[in-house]
Amino acid sequence: MKPTRLIPWLAMPLVLVGMAACGSQEQPGGNENSTGGAGSAPAGETVEISYLHRLPDGAGMTPVADIVDRWNAEHPDIHVTSTKFDGDAQEMALRLETDIKADSGPCLAQLGYNEVPDMYVKGLVQDVSAEADKYKANYGGAYGQMIVNGETVGLPQDVGPLVYIYNATEFANLGIEVPTTLDEFKTAAATAAAAGKYIADFNADEAGYWLSGQTAAAGGVWYSSADNQWKVTVESDASKTVADFWQSMIDAKSVLTINRWDDAYNAALRDGSLIGNIAAAWEVAFILDVFDAQAATDTTPATEASPYQGQWRVAQIPDFGAGAKTGPDGGSGVAVMKGCAYPEQAMEFNNWFNTQVDDLLSQGLVTAALEAPTTQPEKWNTQYGGQDVLAELSTANKNLNPDFAYIPGFASVVPSVVESASAVVSGSGTVADVFAAGQTASVTALTDLGLPVTEG
Amino acid sequence: MADTTIKDREGAPKPRARRLGHGHNRRLQAITGWLFALPFTIGFLLVFVIPIISAVRSSLYAQKPAGGGLFGGGGLVDTFVGLDNFKAAASNPDFWAGIGRVLLFGVIQIPIMILVALFLALLLDSFMVRRPGPWRLIFFLPYAIPGIIAAIVWTYLYNPQLSPFAGAFPAIGNQPFFLAPQVILGSMANMTTWTFTGYNMLIFLAALQAIPSELTEAARVDGASSWQVITRVKIPMVRGAALLAILLSIVGTVQLFNEPSVMQSAATWMGGDYMPMLMAYNSLMGTISPSGSGPASALSILMALVAGALAAIYALLQTRMSR
Repeated sequence: MKPTRLIPWLAMPLVLVGMAACGSQEQPGGNENSTGGAGSAPAGETVEISYLHRLPDGAGMTPVADIVDRWNAEHPDIHVTSTKFDGDAQEMALRLETDIKADSGPCLAQLGYNEVPDMYVKGLVQDVSAEADKYKANYGGAYGQMIVNGETVGLPQDVGPLVYIYNATEFANLGIEVPTTLDEFKTAAATAAAAGKYIADFNADEAGYWLSGQTAAAGGVWYSSADNQWKVTVESDASKTVADFWQSMIDAKSVLTINRWDDAYNAALRDGSLIGNIAAAWEVAFILDVFDAQAATDTTPATEASPYQGQWRVAQIPDFGAGAKTGPDGGSGVAVMKGCAYPEQAMEFNNWFNTQVDDLLSQGLVTAALEAPTTQPEKWNTQYGGQDVLAELSTANKNLNPDFAYIPGFASVVPSVVESASAVVSGSGTVADVFAAGQTASVTALTDLGLPVTEG
Repeated sequence: MADTTIKDREGAPKPRARRLGHGHNRRLQAITGWLFALPFTIGFLLVFVIPIISAVRSSLYAQKPAGGGLFGGGGLVDTFVGLDNFKAAASNPDFWAGIGRVLLFGVIQIPIMILVALFLALLLDSFMVRRPGPWRLIFFLPYAIPGIIAAIVWTYLYNPQLSPFAGAFPAIGNQPFFLAPQVILGSMANMTTWTFTGYNMLIFLAALQAIPSELTEAARVDGASSWQVITRVKIPMVRGAALLAILLSIVGTVQLFNEPSVMQSAATWMGGDYMPMLMAYNSLMGTISPSGSGPASALSILMALVAGALAAIYALLQTRMSR
């Protein structure tokens, strides 16, 4: 989803120009008909729905615009205009806030599950519970991620359960099996490290979602509520399990500590030293691209496909002590935004779009809809040696801890956690400190937002 | 003769008429003047005065939940909070740590950059360089590259995987040499020096070329050596330019943004509050709490005050010293 973090910066001047240009322009968001009553489309007229997303639209994918064109061809009465936002999630959230306040926001927008509570607190989404109920049966557990305060604000699009991906050939050479418990994992890591291979990498830069997802896999939650107050339990028994697990392997130097989005990560994959990792399901779509044959460019010669290509497989993460459970790492839904005059029609499209599973799979999404894609991408057959990856991802999806939810202001918790996790890499902190930093940052975030909170 | 007639004709009531006519003229002139100034005034109001007023206004407000409960009633209301945002910003140790970093940065980087710029300008102004045109362009070229692009290119150059030279430097505490906590300010200083030396050189060069040649000629006739011409005539004459260049550098340093924000994607240990401008940006983006336009505006205004104070202190010291 984000091959390098630097790309958004390249696009930023354009985004700013785009913001200035769009701010003054009437967006076909349907705000103009606020007196007409929600959902009552004027007879015989075409309803205009605008949809803002940040799906990759990369090479070889079915472009969102094409999917939307198909809808428009089949539905002359509901015309959808899709716009791709070229920036990161945070920039899009600010853009939505600004536009919706100026009554020029889109009708539908892609929101990360972690952003949904935040958007709700800011009053930027609509309660479409009645409409959503009609489509509820089409979706799995992620449906709950679009419910805030008992109100459903949209439909889920994709999920990011943590999975384990590994090089099966290298594992066989080392005589190790896919670890099913944390102890097995540590032993396997030690065996591999003795041979200069690493079966995992501590992703400090992804710690906010990656470690919270593992806490969920260990049966914990970071946030819950009691007596109408937030309860922050970032530091818990479950998180201690996760912290001890990584700390012991980092201390033993049996795992790597490279940032996920550092070029060194791809280098470690390419040179064969990194032979596995706990990864979000959406990484499956591109993580092995580093092994592909490269065509020659002006500056680099053509390279052949790596011998490692086709040796990798997807498996479930080990049992973190709570049975066959995994946790969420990312994933997003499409919400109906405040000011959308036609929530009924917007939700009709929303459901249709999110059930176009084959098209969404081509975008690299592990879809939240229950309907399984008909075939997995040809690329996956090559990269995963013909494994039925979709089946494995679907198992992970079913194992998602359904209780894990985010708080409003989670966006400010992530950088604190990442900063602290980076200190672990530099040797100036422990993994337990990471959770302590998350605990403090969460309480601060809620307090600063003026929301009621009790600690642990 | 004619004079007397006119005087006669302009009897008693004339002075008033003349004043009227004069006033009319002045009004016309004033209107013409304002018309000429209009494009500037409109631009100044739109891109300068109004944003400042709006920033000051929003720094006095915070977005508070409209109701109670876990989700604050599902809406936010703009609430007047007086100076609360400023109190929060000024009592935040992270903010002052950021200010400390830019100060440390500035104290070392600005003198180096200004001296190099002055040296290059003197070189181009001397008789040693026959055709300064191409050199001027070459030294100035880094400034023509958009700041974000330059920051990205440099970050790639600091990355051991991509750089032709960074791999030769030892990692410090698992961090690449140029991105390690002990080195990163130096890496950033290198980036800004590369970008802005040429720009400051142009300021000096313009000042040097404005020195009347009579002065240097007179000095030479009086037997001054080249070195004396430089130190006794040229450098004192560009003091005004130096003041300008240093003031711009101080303000620019406090506002450092491109470099830390791009490098932060590679050096994740930095956090979102490494430097004050980055902190203000991330407060607006919601990745630093308290977030929102109120706290972000308060941070920006506080930063402007710090930059203003530093610039004023420098200007005062400078004038006192030159007396």
